[in-house]
Amino acid sequence: MNLSLMTAYVVVISLYVNLGIALYGVFARPSLVKKLLAITILSDTANAFAVLVGYRWPASGTPKPPVYTNTTFNNQTLHYYVSHAVDPLPQALVLTAIVIGLAVTMFIAFIIIQYYRLHGTVDVRKARR
Amino acid sequence: MKASELFVLVSIIVFIFSLAYITSLGGLGQLPPVNVRLLAQRYLELTWNPLKPFMSSSGYESVTAIVWDFRGLDTFFETAVFYGAIIAAIAIYRGVKITGKGRTTGMSPIARTITRLSIILIPTVAASIALHGHLTPGGGFQAGSVATVVVVLIIMVFGRKALIRKGMTKARILLFRSLGLLGIGFTAVAILLAGIILGLNAYIFQNQPKPFAPLGFPKLYDGMILGGSLLLFNLFEFIAVTAGFTLVLLLLSLGEEEVRGVVEK
Repeated sequence: MNLSLMTAYVVVISLYVNLGIALYGVFARPSLVKKLLAITILSDTANAFAVLVGYRWPASGTPKPPVYTNTTFNNQTLHYYVSHAVDPLPQALVLTAIVIGLAVTMFIAFIIIQYYRLHGTVDVRKARR
Repeated sequence: MKASELFVLVSIIVFIFSLAYITSLGGLGQLPPVNVRLLAQRYLELTWNPLKPFMSSSGYESVTAIVWDFRGLDTFFETAVFYGAIIAAIAIYRGVKITGKGRTTGMSPIARTITRLSIILIPTVAASIALHGHLTPGGGFQAGSVATVVVVLIIMVFGRKALIRKGMTKARILLFRSLGLLGIGFTAVAILLAGIILGLNAYIFQNQPKPFAPLGFPKLYDGMILGGSLLLFNLFEFIAVTAGFTLVLLLLSLGEEEVRGVVEK
């Protein structure tokens, strides 16, 4: 088994473990703060998956970041760049997802703080009464 | 363990294992892939391509080119969502007075001295991330997040009231945030406005000249790559994100008794 494949297995398995922990936190933990933490883990796991799908291991050489680093431009350097750089689209989408996720997390955090001020608890079991 | 808890646990485990099984059958394709998708190849090819000037963006960095040029409108509305959430957070805290009056107890002299040094260094790094966003990994949002570290440090080490007494009042931060947002909006329609004034064809979110739309932002200045609209977008996003985060941190650091007085009214 080559190294890149083994690394991919380890990453995928740990991402699934993360996903399980996040889902457990959202569904089973009674504290709203724990639920918020679990949601952030869930979104980070999804983002890491997106970046992993956009990663590549080219047939020859090593993967390059999606930044054109050559100061000269000709067909040869462009071909090298296109055939070695990783997919920039998932990275751009993940950047968008992180920003929106952050905004939503911030808003939920404010609501949880306000909820605590009004009800004196963040436990959903007590809040039901 | 109750039956309902056991049901939740078993459901999660079954769900995770079925997803993992789909992945192992090749649901996400080969991991890691050898080739990228055709769309990604086009994006990579057109990021910096003097041979196809009508189709390429004007920076070296493909992610920034996608974020602010190829899919600029996406990012525009994403910025709108981001500020919508900040406005909602401010609305929750309406009526709370944010003043710099009263005593503040900061940290030890060691922490204060180190912070005084680093609050000069960190904005420098942030500015370089923002202004080189079209050349190296980074951009306005990342730079804004880095610059916000300064605000966190000041609130932690000197106290929130010290930050307000230095002139960072809520009104002033809102002004900076609005300036950043206006800048983003103006950059998006600048070429269109110029086109209307000069009587030429132009598009919203136009960066470089297109066929039948000859206007565009400058690509190079004295051999330096300017990145056209990418540089401006990154700069204004940097200002807007820094101000937005500063505002949220200011609200989050408010004392419990100050907010409680308003909430219980």
